Amino acid sequence: MTKKIIRSKSPNTFTELPDDWIIICRCEEITKGEIRRAVYEGMSTPNEIKRYLRAGMGLCQGQTCSHLIRFIVARELGIPALEVPAPTSRAPARPVEMGVLANDGLKLQAVVN
Amino acid sequence: MCSASVSDSASDEENIMRIQNHPILKQFEKGKAVSFYFDGRILEGFEDEPIAVALKANGVMVHRYTSRDRKPRGIFCAIGRCTDCVMIVDGKPNVRTCITPLREGMKIETQYGVSKEDQVK
Amino acid sequence: MERYDLIVIGAGPAGLSAAIEAASAGMSVVVYDENSRPGGQLFKQIHKFFGSREHKAKERGFRIGEKLLAEANDLGVKVMLSSTVLGVYENREITVMTASQVNHVKASSIIIATGASENMLPFKGWTLPGVIGAGAAQTMMNLHGVRPGKRVLMIGSGNVGLVVGYQIMQAGCTLAAVVDASPTIGGYGVHAAKIARTGLPFYTSHTIKEAHGSDRVEAATIVEVDKSWNPVPGSEKRIEIDTICIAVGLKPMSQLAAMAGCVMEENPLKGGVVPVCDEFGETSLAGVFVAGDVAGIEEASSAMIQGKIAGAASALRMGCISEDIFKSKCTEYRRSLEQLREGMFAHKNRGKPKESTDEGFKLSQSLLQRGFVADVEISHYPGVPPAEKRARGIVPVIECTQNIPCDPCQDACRKGCIKVGTTITKLPEIDAAVECTGCGMCVVSCPGQAIFLINECVEGDFANVSIPYEFHPLPNKGDKGIALSRSGEYLGEAEVISVVTSRASDETSMLTMRVCGELSMKARFFRAN
Repeated sequence: MTKKIIRSKSPNTFTELPDDWIIICRCEEITKGEIRRAVYEGMSTPNEIKRYLRAGMGLCQGQTCSHLIRFIVARELGIPALEVPAPTSRAPARPVEMGVLANDGLKLQAVVN
Repeated sequence: MCSASVSDSASDEENIMRIQNHPILKQFEKGKAVSFYFDGRILEGFEDEPIAVALKANGVMVHRYTSRDRKPRGIFCAIGRCTDCVMIVDGKPNVRTCITPLREGMKIETQYGVSKEDQVK
Repeated sequence: MERYDLIVIGAGPAGLSAAIEAASAGMSVVVYDENSRPGGQLFKQIHKFFGSREHKAKERGFRIGEKLLAEANDLGVKVMLSSTVLGVYENREITVMTASQVNHVKASSIIIATGASENMLPFKGWTLPGVIGAGAAQTMMNLHGVRPGKRVLMIGSGNVGLVVGYQIMQAGCTLAAVVDASPTIGGYGVHAAKIARTGLPFYTSHTIKEAHGSDRVEAATIVEVDKSWNPVPGSEKRIEIDTICIAVGLKPMSQLAAMAGCVMEENPLKGGVVPVCDEFGETSLAGVFVAGDVAGIEEASSAMIQGKIAGAASALRMGCISEDIFKSKCTEYRRSLEQLREGMFAHKNRGKPKESTDEGFKLSQSLLQRGFVADVEISHYPGVPPAEKRARGIVPVIECTQNIPCDPCQDACRKGCIKVGTTITKLPEIDAAVECTGCGMCVVSCPGQAIFLINECVEGDFANVSIPYEFHPLPNKGDKGIALSRSGEYLGEAEVISVVTSRASDETSMLTMRVCGELSMKARFFRAN
C-alpha cells in the first residue's frame, strides 16, 4: 500500500535546528538532522528514508525508530502525521538469521520449551 | 533452586542491586550460583537468569560501544527487541544479553562496533 | 504442515483468555509467544487490578497470570514459548520460528494478540546506559529481582509511569521525580496519590531536556514547557539520578495484521495503527481476529474479555458452539467490557475537559496537577464521613474522587458500610448509620490504596490513622517516626500502634499510627525515624 505524498510546502533552504544532533535510529546512529536533510533532499516516506539512510535497517530492524521517523517526516512536510504512511510491514516480523530461513522445510529436531 | 540470598563473599554492588526481600514478591527463585567471565574478570550470577541481569547486579552498565560514534550502550528495552544490550558471548557477537540465559563459565565481552576491542582498527 | 483448529499469537492476557475460551468449546489450540515466559505483561504487574470481581478486581496481575496459565494447561492448550511468528499468510497459514527451526502451521482461525510496544521519547543523551523503558524497569525488578538503578527519574505520568514509579519504590530504589509535559497528570488520581504521599514531587508541564554522563546516566536536566510545548528559557532544573525511565505511552504491535493484508486504520484514541474489526474482533480477513492491546490500547482486564469474545467467535466459526450459545456469551462479555469502558479515563471521554464527577462533585484540580487532593477539598466527597460521625468513633475515610470502574470496597465491608452500586464508576459512599468495626478489610482491599481508618476517640488529644502499607522495611509496633500529609509534607510525630498483615490482604499491610488529634484528616503516610 504505497501512497504518493504531495508536498504542501516546498523547502527552499535547509535550516539547522538545535535538536538536530539527537540520535533517532539508535542502531545505525542516524540523527534527526540527517533525517530532516533527507526529506529536504526529496525523500518523503519512511520507506524511502530507510533505503536512503539505513535508518530502520539496523540490528533491531526499525522496532525503535520507525514511528519517530514518521513524525519527523510529517513535521518537515508540514502535514499531519496520519498522512504519512506507516513503514511497510513484511515477513519476517522479527530479524531472522539466513541459516535459519535456509532450514525451512527440513525436518530438524524441534526444541519445545 | 535457591533463593537470591547473596553469600558473604559477594561484592557490595550485588548486595545493593539485588532485591533480597520484596514486599509483594518476597524471595525470587533463582538457579544455582555460577561464575562467569566479563572482560577477563570473574563475576558471580545465577544460572538461567539473563546475562544482562547478572551484569547489572554486578554494577556493569556499558555493554558495547557503537560502530560510528564509539558511544556507550547498555540495557534499554530488556525484552530482546531494541538490540542495544548486545555483547560478544563465548566469541559470538551481537548476542542479546537481556534474553540470553547465563551459564557457568560463560565468557562475556564488551563489544566494540561488531568486534572485540583488540580487533578494532 | 501442522494443523490446529485455532492459532493464537501471543500468550498474554488476551491470548490466553482466547485459548481457554476456544479450548473449552473443544477446539485444538496452539499459542505461540516469542518470549521465554508466558503471560505477556501480566507477570510484571504486582499491583491489584481495578474493575469488579468479574474483572478480577483486587487480584494482583501476576496471580491472574498464574491462574490463566494453569487453566490453559488443564484444557490441553499447547503453549509454545520462544516461538516467534514470522508471518501470517493466505488461508490462515503462518510461519513460526522456534530455536533454529521454521515451521509452517495452518488453522481454521487465527487470533492475533500480540499486545503493544512502548513509545519512544528521544532527547539529548537518551542513548546513555541508564536510560530504559518503563517495561524494562518492571522486567528487571519484578521478574528478575534486580534494581534498575539507585535513583530513578520517571518521564511520563500516565498509569504506566505512576504504577511503575510505585513499583520502583517497592523495589527499594529512590524515585526522584515524575515528569510530564502535560499540565495534568495522565493516570488515575489514586495512583498518583499513592506516591505523592511519600513526598515524591510531580513536575507537570515539564519535559526532559538532557541526560548527562560520560559512560552512564549521572544526572538529568528537566525544563518547563509552555502551552505550545516550547521550553521556557531559564526554567531548567538539574536532578541527580542514575536511571531515567521512559513511560510515554504504548502503541499496538499490529505488524502481523498489516502484513497479512488486513484493512488497517490509524486511530489516535487506540494508540496507533490497528486492524479494522467488528465487535467480535474479526478483521477484514475471514477467520483472522484480534484481541487485546493490538486492537487498541486499554487494560489487561479489557484484553481478557476481548480474548474471550474472539475465542468464542472462532468456536462459532468452526461450529463448536451454536449460534444461540455464542449470542448469549457475547452479550454477557460485551456487558462486562462496556463496564470497563466507562468513567473519566475511558477513551470516549478522553480530551473532554472535566470540572466535576458524574455525580456533580468538583474534581480536585490539585490532584490533577500535583498528585494529591488538597486538605480543603477532601471533605466534599461522599466517601468522607462528616465531622460529627468521625467524632463518635472509628470510621473509614474513602478518598476516592474520580469516576473509575472499580468496586472491591463495596464487597470488602461485611457490614455493608460502603456503597458503590451497579454502576461501578460511581464514587463510593459511606452509610452513616453503619457502625464501623475497624477490621480494616476496606483499607487493604482498595486497589488504589485510597481508604483509611480514622479514630478520633483516642485518649489524650490523639487520633489513630490506619493506612495501607506495601513497602519494606515494614515498621513494627512501637516504632517512632513522622506523619506525612497527602502531599508528602512533614506534619508531626507519629508512633506505630499496630501493623496487621493478613492472608486475605495479599501482602497489603494495615499500619495504624498515633498522631496529634488535629492531624486525623491530614496524616496519610508514615516514615520511620
